[in-house]
Amino acid sequence: MTHKQTVTLLWLLLVGLTLGGTLLGETAQPGYGVMLVIVLTMAFKGRMVIDHFMELKNANRLIRRLMQAYFYVLPLATVLSYVLSDLP
Amino acid sequence: MSTAYAEQLPAAGHIPGNKGMWAGILCEMTEFAVLFTVYFTARVFFPQEFRAGPSDLNLYAGTLNTLLMISGSYFVVNAVIAIRENRAGLSVRWLVLVLLAAAGYMLTKYLEFGWNTAHGVTAGNGAFYTVYYYLTLTHMVHVGWGMIGLLWIIVRTRSGAYTPAEHEAMESFASYWHATDLVWLIIFPLLYLLR
Repeated sequence: MTHKQTVTLLWLLLVGLTLGGTLLGETAQPGYGVMLVIVLTMAFKGRMVIDHFMELKNANRLIRRLMQAYFYVLPLATVLSYVLSDLP
Repeated sequence: MSTAYAEQLPAAGHIPGNKGMWAGILCEMTEFAVLFTVYFTARVFFPQEFRAGPSDLNLYAGTLNTLLMISGSYFVVNAVIAIRENRAGLSVRWLVLVLLAAAGYMLTKYLEFGWNTAHGVTAGNGAFYTVYYYLTLTHMVHVGWGMIGLLWIIVRTRSGAYTPAEHEAMESFASYWHATDLVWLIIFPLLYLLR
């Protein structure tokens, strides 16, 4: 698959995930399961943009790792704050 | 990564654009990391507000802006691919699409804030709403900076300034635009979806 084909496929996937997220946000009952789906989708979308749209997949290692780390740390912080806010 | 794909990317270990832009992007990401930390802290201290808050926002406006940011990122990567293929005219057309997506984002934000006012959603309503306005307005400012840069890149591309061998400024702009998209990909679920 060429670079152009890859980014087009990813764009369609990201659009689909966004619309799916909206449907979930509007219809699903809030809870840990929904939260995990939302957070994992956030992490996946970020990783796809970093690797393929930003073209960091084979780029400078320091920049790639810093950007990828952002989408490990922020989703984890989201889960942590959600769990902590749910404690009695 | 397939061979065809790998061959179309710049050499392994490259820095997209220039180091100066990456210093700026990392500052931008740090700035938003601080704002996200405010969100996480406020969420722990005001759990009820953060559970109820997203239902008061216009989810369709948030969704439309997510689609516009993602599409803008897609258009800009195509503009870079086009210039690598020495097709400046096509690259300009992709860049104009980025501009339209950015203008659509701004228009949607304007309409959303008007909708908020009509429905009593103001920054004074509580911690969630303060964080919502702080995060989204700061993001809007970054999109505004990007639009100014984009106009310059369009003018330079039209004048033939970029070639397959030399298009560092366009790659720098593209990296900035993707970073602004990335920030929105966190803002959207945190503010509009996570109840």
